[in-house]
Amino acid sequence: MSTATTTRNAEAASDLLRRLRGPNNEGILALILIGLVVVTSIANPTFFSVPTMFAVLRNSIVPLIFALGVLIVIISGGIDVSFPAIAVFAAYSTVRAAGDIVDPGLVGAFAFALALGALLGLLNGVVIARFRLPTLIVTLGSQGIFVGVLLTYVGSRYVAELPGSLAALSKTNLLEVSSDGRNAFLHVMIVPAVLMCLFVSWLLRRTMFGRGVYAIGGDVEAARRAGFPVVRIQLFIYVLVGMMAATAGVIYMIMGRSASPRDMAGSELDIIAAVVLGGASIFGGRGSVLGTVLGVLVIQVIGSSLILAGVPSAWQRAAVGGLLLVGVGVQAVAARRSARHRRVVRTEEAVA
Amino acid sequence: MTSKTDDRTATPMEGIDDRYQSLLRRVHVDRTTGRMLLLTVLTFGLFAALNPRVFLNPLNLQNIAVAAPEIGVLAIAMMLAMLTGGIDLSLVAIANLSAITISMTYTAVAKDDPGLAESLMPLLALEGVLVGVAAGAVNGLLVSRVGITPILATLGTMQVFNGIAVAWTGGSTLYGLPQSLADLGMSTVGGVPVLFLVFLLVAVATGLFVARTPAGLRAQLQGANPVAAKFSGIESSSVLMRTYTVAGALGGLAGVLFIARNPTASADYGASYVLLVIVIAVLGGTNPAGGFATVAGVVLATLTLQVLASGFTAMRLSAYEYAIAQGVILIVVMVTDQVRWRRRRGPRRSAPSDAAVPPNSHQTLNSGRQS
Amino acid sequence: MVQPEQADARQPVLAVRDITKTYGGVRALSDVSLELMPGEVHCLAGENGCGKSTLIKIISGAERPDRGEIVIDGVAHPAMDPAGAIRSGIQVIYQDFSLFPNLTVAENITLTSAVADGKRLYSAAALRPAADRIVAELGLDLDLDADVERLTVADRQLTAICRALVHEARVIIMDEPTTALTHSEVARLFALVERLRDRGVALVFVSHKLDEVLEVSQRVTILRSGRHVVTAAAGELSPAAIAHHMTGREINEERVVSALPIDAPTVLDVRELNLAGAFEDVTFSLRRGEILGVTGLLGSGRTEIAEALFGITRPDSGTVHVDGAPLTGHRIEDAVRAGIGYVPEDRLTQGLFLEKSIADNIIAGSLDRHRSRSRLLDRARVRSTIQSLFERLKVKAPNTRAVVRSLSGGNAQRVVIAKWLATQPKVLMLNGPTVGVDVGSKAEILEILRNEAERGMGVIVISDDAPELVSCCHRVLIVRRGRIVHELAGDDVTVSRIQDRMAA
Repeated sequence: MSTATTTRNAEAASDLLRRLRGPNNEGILALILIGLVVVTSIANPTFFSVPTMFAVLRNSIVPLIFALGVLIVIISGGIDVSFPAIAVFAAYSTVRAAGDIVDPGLVGAFAFALALGALLGLLNGVVIARFRLPTLIVTLGSQGIFVGVLLTYVGSRYVAELPGSLAALSKTNLLEVSSDGRNAFLHVMIVPAVLMCLFVSWLLRRTMFGRGVYAIGGDVEAARRAGFPVVRIQLFIYVLVGMMAATAGVIYMIMGRSASPRDMAGSELDIIAAVVLGGASIFGGRGSVLGTVLGVLVIQVIGSSLILAGVPSAWQRAAVGGLLLVGVGVQAVAARRSARHRRVVRTEEAVA
Repeated sequence: MTSKTDDRTATPMEGIDDRYQSLLRRVHVDRTTGRMLLLTVLTFGLFAALNPRVFLNPLNLQNIAVAAPEIGVLAIAMMLAMLTGGIDLSLVAIANLSAITISMTYTAVAKDDPGLAESLMPLLALEGVLVGVAAGAVNGLLVSRVGITPILATLGTMQVFNGIAVAWTGGSTLYGLPQSLADLGMSTVGGVPVLFLVFLLVAVATGLFVARTPAGLRAQLQGANPVAAKFSGIESSSVLMRTYTVAGALGGLAGVLFIARNPTASADYGASYVLLVIVIAVLGGTNPAGGFATVAGVVLATLTLQVLASGFTAMRLSAYEYAIAQGVILIVVMVTDQVRWRRRRGPRRSAPSDAAVPPNSHQTLNSGRQS
Repeated sequence: MVQPEQADARQPVLAVRDITKTYGGVRALSDVSLELMPGEVHCLAGENGCGKSTLIKIISGAERPDRGEIVIDGVAHPAMDPAGAIRSGIQVIYQDFSLFPNLTVAENITLTSAVADGKRLYSAAALRPAADRIVAELGLDLDLDADVERLTVADRQLTAICRALVHEARVIIMDEPTTALTHSEVARLFALVERLRDRGVALVFVSHKLDEVLEVSQRVTILRSGRHVVTAAAGELSPAAIAHHMTGREINEERVVSALPIDAPTVLDVRELNLAGAFEDVTFSLRRGEILGVTGLLGSGRTEIAEALFGITRPDSGTVHVDGAPLTGHRIEDAVRAGIGYVPEDRLTQGLFLEKSIADNIIAGSLDRHRSRSRLLDRARVRSTIQSLFERLKVKAPNTRAVVRSLSGGNAQRVVIAKWLATQPKVLMLNGPTVGVDVGSKAEILEILRNEAERGMGVIVISDDAPELVSCCHRVLIVRRGRIVHELAGDDVTVSRIQDRMAA
């Protein structure tokens, strides 16, 4: 009897631990983030300041929006590497159209970019959902097509000046705080980023579409049998990702105050790294917005602390890669352990 | 050899049937390769017809044969990783690291003794391959021992290897290399560039490895069904370790080819190769899900895409249009493969555990024989 | 075809009429009809490939028939779709359960009906009471908040059953419903079935354990080669008649056991093998030429013992000798090298490379044995090994290059056995050697085992199929709660004794 109570206590304790840790290790990631901030701040007190925090947030805006889209794809069991191509395609085309033809105003520009993003996403979705092809390879192919079409048919020149409606936003800040004689600015584009976090979180947790994304990622065949409209959900996922990428692209250009068709190339792997670090399973079925936000922030904080520490920027790439390996390595080892543990538990139950 | 056993035990009718089936099967095996060969010839013919003066110029053909090997060797390495059901995104980074190591070592030695550095050429080439082996072993460890999914493991090491290369070179292009290596990159044997011969040698060796050695077959089986491989006494960790190390070695060799051809080394050389190499591997009949690949198909796919690239140049089309063509080819090939595969297999497949036996197995067998 | 509806008790709740389905020019189903009355339990039987699965898929809306109609409550549909079928009250419990491993039990139970109701928003809290209710109603002990991937197989099956019942189901189709359940759980399932019948639900059982299913079935329909053979009251059909209808042949399940020479040497000697939580103090030996049965309920430890001997798990203590030599190392490779082969129960994922040829499958376990001095494979020797086993085991396929996926269950099993024979094992363990193998092939597989044992191999058959054990085993060990509790030999090996001792 006493052993039963102790096991029950142990179970309760481990239950509490599990809840603190979160379903996708969000707790651990939050601890790492706090630890990073503390360590860097001790090593270099200038780090712990409003301007630095605002800079980290500012740098996180575009990666975060990308990451939210990637998160949805990864939960559904896919991988998308074409989103930077979609982003630059939609944003650059919008800038060029607004500059060369007519400035449609802020809303019009976003609408145009979103429509382009949705269309390109739909192309991905049709090939992936209709023919059930490996997502990585399809999006590798479509990425080449998108960038190629952009540079061949839309244009390849650098645009130094954005059309008026977009340029107006470039210098708009949400908050201005002055500390230690320095002025810190929080860019207004943090607002859409936060709104999108809330939207995606709601979408994943409180809609049947969101449950469908998790269901497909868990077991496609089971999802089909349960009556989920799998093809439609997949199409919608890629359309959504296309639209989010387009938004991120326009915001990137607004914040960068210029537009180049070669922007954002090569950022896909950093984003995927952030999402995976945030606890999303590359096999699908697992992942959360909170984890993704933390994953993006951790990578940004590491980036800025490396700069502060005087590490050449060249090493940042290696650092992100190393971090990714450590993150997924720990997950892989833990998964193996728990598989072994589960096996023993299973047989114990069976024998008992 | 085997027809003897066939005839002794089978009735004449069965023997004939068997031989007929074997013929069919052989035709089928070669269908991917056959289709690839046709595609190669067609592409070649197309550009030869469109712009014979530029395209058929011996110099242009020579260029194709010099440019193809580095991509081809990388594609073969990618094929090996895919054969076991994985992928190696770090190959181009490995190749660059190999080329940079060679150049750095040469420059360091040449500072004190240029003659010695020049004479070290074979050792330097070997060093490049060994860098690849080491990098591949890191991938292998991460995949086989730590248990990280290949796509994530090699995504991470790609960043790390590339980061090391950028930091090491400071982002600049290196020019130091033994003259003899650069000469080798330009020399020919009987009109065939030496680099191309190296490529063919790698292809033959890999072909033998995959189809004719126990280790190669184990790699195939591991890719076809890792669980069944384990239950057949195949040690997956050693198969994966070996595969990623060999792929890394080929990546290192590609680095030697990089520097011999260009003759420079830099961290961001061949940035578009990651996509290109995957396109070639899949186009050449490699199943990205694992278990199936042919070296001949990959060699032909390499040639096709090289012909295409050079044809685009001859037609004064841009590199971007070539990128479009790559993407379109990749997707079209996969879609047609999928459509054909589904038609052959008949009904929509459900998860294997759905029934004790694949449902309608008889029907699939029959339809397979009819088609 | 809409018929006026009448309040007639004899109106079938579901009927399929003249269903024809063709895949790639080959008929999977030809003019099959079936009627389900409210409150009846209907057994759907047939060999693998007879069209049962296709029929279920058509009823559940996973496939469209080429011809024919599905009539629900007198309304004819040319085809169903999954959500529509669920809305009409048709629920299928698939053999693999079709659950979402990454979602909780509660979500798994309730999601399907939420989809069928066409909901757009989702609220875990709003759906939760339904899950609570069904678990309470069935008196189950299921942790609703656990992720399904952490559950035992039996709990997964119970989750799948709850999911089928939570929605107002009118027809429940269970594909091999009892495979993962222990006897007491099966009894509970059948009690549940009785309650469902009272509610007027029609049940369809698809099963190969006929004796079990016939206990609760009122009617039996048998399909063969995509055609309807017979539908009759369960009481009118003897097991032999059913087997006859399924195969079109007479089947013999007599006990055929060779006489072991008295001096047959011990080939496998297991002493005091222990694995915490799985089995204790397992001691037995096996002689050359002997077929030893190991049986017990699911979860008794019978599979765990075999897996430990084969190096899949590592025992805590104990010794194993193969042919007098101690087994060192605890990896699969070590067991294979020592001469142990293992034919797993889950043939499709653990035993076979489905997309590979028969030849590749046969040679998969013995590659190093076929290496020549040049370190390449000795192709001539490889071919002769493959060809001779292909013929010795009478694998029915056009040739050894045929893809294994195209084979029937019995032939696929022969290929797995051939893979191990190619390693020339001293001991061959088979877990559920005839699970998913049709009645006709079953006897032939057992005959293969007898022949191979006579060639001097020790064979261990792990199975819960008592008639099969009686048919081929010299001795039978009965495992209960991780211990060997009985040993039956000679004339004591009878179906009733095995079943008594298993359950006791």
